[in-house]
Amino acid sequence: PHPSTGGGGIAPLTEQEEEEQPLQAVLVADSFNRRFFPISKDQPRALLPLGNVAMIDYTLEFLTSTGVQETFVFCCWMSNKIKDHLLKSKWCRPTSPNVVHIITSDLYRSLGDVLRDVDAKNLVRNDFILVYGDVVSNIDVSQALQEHRHRRKVDKNISVMTMVFKESSPGHKSRCEEDDVIVAMDSKSKRVLHYQKTQGLKKLQFPMNIFQHGSDEFEIRHDLLDCHISICSPQVAELFTDNFDYQTRNDFVRGILVNEEILGNQIHLYVTQDGYGARVSNLQMYDSVSSDMVRRWVYPLTPEANFTDQQGQGCTHSRHNVYRGAEVSLGHGSQMEENVLIGRDTSIGANCHISNSVIGNNCTIGDNVVLDRAHMWNNVHISSNVEIHQSVVCDGAVVKEAVHLNKQCVLAYNVVIGPNLSLPDGTVVSMHHPEEEEEDDDDEFLSDDQEVGHSKDKTRQKAFNPAEVGPEGKGYIWKASMNDTEDEELAQCLWGLVLNPDPESDSESEASEESQDRSRSVSPEIDDVNAFQLEVLGTLQRGLEENIVCDNLVLEINSLKYAYNITLKEVMQILTRVVLEYPFQQQGTQLTTLQYTGSLLPLLKTWSPVFKNYIKRAQDHLDCLSAVEELFLEQDTHQTAMVKVLMKMYQLEILEEEAILKWFSTGATNDKSRQLRKNQGKQRMSLQRKESEEDESSEEGE
Amino acid sequence: MELQAVLMAAGGGSRMMDLTYNTPKPLLPVGNKPLIWYPLNLLERVGFEEVIVITTKEVQKMISTDPKVKLDVKMKLDLVCIQEDADMGTADALRHIQQKVKTDVLVVSCDLITDAALHEVVDLFRAHNATLSMLMSKAHEFTETVPGQKGKKKTGEQRDFVGVDDTGKRLLFMANEADLDEGVVIRKSIMRKHPRMHIKTGLVDAHLYCLKKSVVDFLADNKSISSIRGELVPYLVRKQFSKSTNSPKVIDETHQNLKKNDSNVNLEIQISSRDEELLHLTQERSCWNDHRGDMSDAYHGGRLRCYVHIMDEGICYRVNTLAAYIEANRLAPKLFDEPAVHPSAVVSERCLIGADSIIGASCQISDKTSIKRSTIGVSTTVREKVKVTNSIIMHGVTIEEGCNIQGSVICSNAVIGRGADIKYCLVGSAQRIEPDGEHTTASPHLAITHSPTPLYSN
Repeated sequence: PHPSTGGGGIAPLTEQEEEEQPLQAVLVADSFNRRFFPISKDQPRALLPLGNVAMIDYTLEFLTSTGVQETFVFCCWMSNKIKDHLLKSKWCRPTSPNVVHIITSDLYRSLGDVLRDVDAKNLVRNDFILVYGDVVSNIDVSQALQEHRHRRKVDKNISVMTMVFKESSPGHKSRCEEDDVIVAMDSKSKRVLHYQKTQGLKKLQFPMNIFQHGSDEFEIRHDLLDCHISICSPQVAELFTDNFDYQTRNDFVRGILVNEEILGNQIHLYVTQDGYGARVSNLQMYDSVSSDMVRRWVYPLTPEANFTDQQGQGCTHSRHNVYRGAEVSLGHGSQMEENVLIGRDTSIGANCHISNSVIGNNCTIGDNVVLDRAHMWNNVHISSNVEIHQSVVCDGAVVKEAVHLNKQCVLAYNVVIGPNLSLPDGTVVSMHHPEEEEEDDDDEFLSDDQEVGHSKDKTRQKAFNPAEVGPEGKGYIWKASMNDTEDEELAQCLWGLVLNPDPESDSESEASEESQDRSRSVSPEIDDVNAFQLEVLGTLQRGLEENIVCDNLVLEINSLKYAYNITLKEVMQILTRVVLEYPFQQQGTQLTTLQYTGSLLPLLKTWSPVFKNYIKRAQDHLDCLSAVEELFLEQDTHQTAMVKVLMKMYQLEILEEEAILKWFSTGATNDKSRQLRKNQGKQRMSLQRKESEEDESSEEGE
Repeated sequence: MELQAVLMAAGGGSRMMDLTYNTPKPLLPVGNKPLIWYPLNLLERVGFEEVIVITTKEVQKMISTDPKVKLDVKMKLDLVCIQEDADMGTADALRHIQQKVKTDVLVVSCDLITDAALHEVVDLFRAHNATLSMLMSKAHEFTETVPGQKGKKKTGEQRDFVGVDDTGKRLLFMANEADLDEGVVIRKSIMRKHPRMHIKTGLVDAHLYCLKKSVVDFLADNKSISSIRGELVPYLVRKQFSKSTNSPKVIDETHQNLKKNDSNVNLEIQISSRDEELLHLTQERSCWNDHRGDMSDAYHGGRLRCYVHIMDEGICYRVNTLAAYIEANRLAPKLFDEPAVHPSAVVSERCLIGADSIIGASCQISDKTSIKRSTIGVSTTVREKVKVTNSIIMHGVTIEEGCNIQGSVICSNAVIGRGADIKYCLVGSAQRIEPDGEHTTASPHLAITHSPTPLYSN
């Protein structure tokens, strides 16, 4: 164990020393999430093959080619497998220009833990490169490194991190939707001023203080692909130690930007235009990175380059990006159309049609098989008449006769499927039972650190469902929506998000803005009413959140009334409207009537004193009722809720019975409202009869 | 005729009241020419033959009678007067002349002094069939000391936030700092279309706009918009990305609605010209696109487009403050090729006049006088042994013997008594400065002294 624990143990280096120091890198060979479950139950993510080469080898090759001389590989989940892999690889040969140290611990739960350990062990003495074990890249970081060092030299240690981004426009297929970021930066200094994930946002907000740094040119960039490569100063590790709540790089970046004024640390940006860099963070990304690889975007890291220098890994490259390993046999009439990589000793039957696919070593493929965007790993057995589209088939899986895999299926290790079966889109089959995970899940760690073995006996007992995996099938279906516990994980299914943005929601927000625009420009009078309405909404919202007494709410609304010069009648109408629209406001307009009433009725109860304060005279009652009517005329899908609302208001003694009846009997102003009253009439009467004793014969007239 | 020029010359110059107290802003002398001459000259240089000048009665009268403000332009000036006290904004003024507007318009402010290549702005307007194209420039630091102003710079000025796309031409965002309480808010859909937005805060708006005729018609229907810069331009910029203006279907609908209900205020800009269909067809057939990175149509199907030309170098001043006025006077000689000393001026041979000074017509400059970096107006008399440095002397001023004037502005018809020592002062119109010694007196509300050493010594 090391004596130095906290930060500050690093002696400052002179300039010369700094240049002589070997470039170091920290490679985190764990994702600290379960995105690749159930695949990563058997193999850590870093070892999953991409183009028949383990992903960590790409990362190490990238680091080595960019000039890294010393790499610390941190493993946690299945660390032994990673260690074995590395020890056998070229990285641990004595001739390797990049010395790889493997550091394993079962205690790492996040990137933060790893970096805290880096600090505790005092591993880095200079700027280092931080990457994950699933980053595929050919970016030459040396220029970014130079810029980083220059910045550090100019302003003493202010810049702590330089993030490497690749320029690519929104919607590019190797852009991970979940990593979609928006960055505000200073054009001249390339300093990051604001960094935000945009997923699910419609409006992007940039606080004013970021524009007050003396510069007069800023850039807001949405055309950046996060390569998950960062150049860090040694302070980064110290900062993680100082801030034990930093778990991810995101936490760190956010923390640095927020506390910039206090700590004085800055983060910069390096944007490369050529070069390739992407992190395989879900299967969607796996699919795109793999096809980019086969299409030679990551040159010089190409399949035929055999950069891992392993015997028998070599393959030939021919037209249309068709790669063939050694001893590949291809049956009569089989076609390898384009972008196909086939590993060694694989045999393919007759009349097969293969395009945009990667096939591993030692696979056998029957006759009349159609493969498109299929990713098959090693020792896979595919029988005849099988069709596979955009799916992943892991090691040792067997696909029997006439099986059809639709898009985004996953067959995990050693699964058997078929025969004569069609798997619907997004089916995930694994030999591990889905519940097995939950049983293990007691300690709620996000890391893939569970020992799988001990629960195997239990799962064996559960029988396979032939309807799901076919008569001879072996494996359990995994449901797509596994994790709904944490909101952050909501979108984290295996394949990640669909790339298509939702254009409709977009237009909706525009439309709403439109109407705001309109009202803004029409007349200032409406403005006041609108503003008042918003204020009332805000007041009520705060009232709910902070549990403010209704008397105080009334006080506040009264003062608003004077501020915006609103009449008492309008106050009531607006108040009614705001309250009735509150559920839509909070939960969106797609609520069903049942949900709507469910959330509205308790609100009415909470705010009934507020109503009572404003509804006193007979006329007030009628005004309130007409406001209710108006709202339900607009929300015509929820008209059935109106009777419940009126009932509740009656029960809460907000509205008097006579008033309701009077409103009911007075002439409707137009056809629509007449219709509404008619619809409501019958139900309302019966309900009122049932629930209130004093209901009298006055209704008989209707 | 492709463009009609409209010159806005009715502004009161509220930010430099000291100067405009007696002379209306369009007629303030800059380099011995009335301020309005500069935009007129700009228009004339690029070949305009006619210009609509919106101004006040007062200015009109002075232009036609006062020989000192003779406008040296060959263009036909169509003077339109508006009432001074009507408090009309620029958009109001444009609405006022709607009947005269037959084509797209080029709107220029009378306080613009620039050597910008005007075609840059117009080319953007043409090339992109834009709704609006405008001119901006990097803001200049005013280096001269300004009379009556303490400290070098006024702080707390509200910056304008201007967002342009990667080409630096398309205007995507515009707001004033004062309106950005909640920070800069940008819709994600805009960022998707224009993923790289440059936000610039150090720009000055030249108040020069090319506007489609339909915008003028739109103004006529929307009485609530009163200022071009303050309301119309931000509105147009915002409108670029709203659905209703982009999908033709919606426009049709609103059109129908309008027909149905004539009293309804037309809130949509009908961007259609008679060539619209042809243009649409060419766009469809062409493989040209204004952006790259996605497969959507040129301009993402948007029909309303705003562009801006940002000058990197060159002169671009809006003479709307005292500081800008002084700076403009210093730079004005560079803008035209005329002899620095007017032929009709009588200049003694035994005086020193710097090359960077201008002497107006019928001036009298006596012996042993030195004039450096200064402008001397028409019919001004400068007597012996006077030193004038870094100053602006307007028309008809008399400077008696032995005066020393430095860094000051002397308005028309003032008389500076003998031996007065004036530093960093503004002397109002027709004021008399008492003779004698060192003291610098001036009418208290029109002249302000600003000097490191106290000069008041009564």
